Amino acid sequence: MSDWKQNLQKTRYVMDALLLVSFMIVSAPQATGVPLHEWLSLLFIVPFAIHLLLHWDWITHSFKRLFSKISAKERFNTVWNYLLYLMMLLATVSGFLVSVALLPTLQIDINIQDFWSKVHHDSATLIMPMIGIHLALHWNWIVQLTKRMVSKKA
Amino acid sequence: MKYLQYQWKSRLFYVLAISILVSVMLVSLEWTSWAEQINSQGYTHGEGEGKMPSILMYILPFVKELILIGVPMLITVALAKLIGRFKKRK
Ligand code: HEM
Ligand code: HEM
Repeated sequence: MSDWKQNLQKTRYVMDALLLVSFMIVSAPQATGVPLHEWLSLLFIVPFAIHLLLHWDWITHSFKRLFSKISAKERFNTVWNYLLYLMMLLATVSGFLVSVALLPTLQIDINIQDFWSKVHHDSATLIMPMIGIHLALHWNWIVQLTKRMVSKKA
Repeated sequence: MKYLQYQWKSRLFYVLAISILVSVMLVSLEWTSWAEQINSQGYTHGEGEGKMPSILMYILPFVKELILIGVPMLITVALAKLIGRFKKRK
């Protein structure tokens, strides 16, 4: 367990777990209260950015690979990741545009539109099943890594 | 951590720059007729019930998330297994 920093897959595993937990907290403003939700969402950018940085190779190669001979699963996975990225940005952007605590604290005045309230609600809700499918597409990896993390050796 | 720290400054810069660029494009949705239509219709949600035992306020949102994430996940895993088995038989 203590050697996870030395292994790329294990580093990803720990960071992915952190990402999932922080995502679930951010997605429950009813439990945290809206002001805390807003500040935690700002903080959430960190595990999210880490998730992307740890897949740098995928980011730089995925688009070109779409035009080569790849499996249907990989193609779907790539498109899905792009959609997920867009949806995450949409949820974050619309979140800022309906902010009632963070932006006012920073002395930024905005006029909240019903449109962005709806977009924030809908995108935040839609992203949950999208992440479910994202996790399913990496199911084998999750099972395999969980076994490796639990067992003492290698 | 060494994997995370590898060239992290330039990589983070790219990720953030692209994300901010795309975000600015997303903000322009505000000028579409779609946005106009929703703004003129008005939108409210979450009012009503109100009287919920307070512990449930800490539990229900997470139950909702577990279902909304977990059910599509399990369906997709089952489907992928089915497709995999079908392909092997051919
Ligand atoms: C709570 C949210 C998320 C969780 C729990 C999660 C979890 C995972 C897991 C378990 C993997 C496979 C293991 C690995 O290689 O690390 C993975 C891969 C990946 N995820 Fe996520 N993810 C989340 C959100 C996102 C989002 C929003 C994007 C948007 C772009 C994304 C992009 C990717 C990419 C590019 C890969 C690797 C590519 C591949 O091999 O298919 N993830 N994620
Ligand atoms: C990954 C990013 C985010 C996710 C997944 C997310 C998720 C959610 C969810 C699920 C709700 C409850 C919506 C409802 O039931 O109507 C909500 C409400 C809210 N969020 Fe976020 N949020 C994110 C980012 C942000 C950010 C960055 C801000 C502001 C700085 C923000 C501000 C708000 C506000 C003010 C509400 C309450 C307004 C309402 O209920 O419509 N959110 N968010």
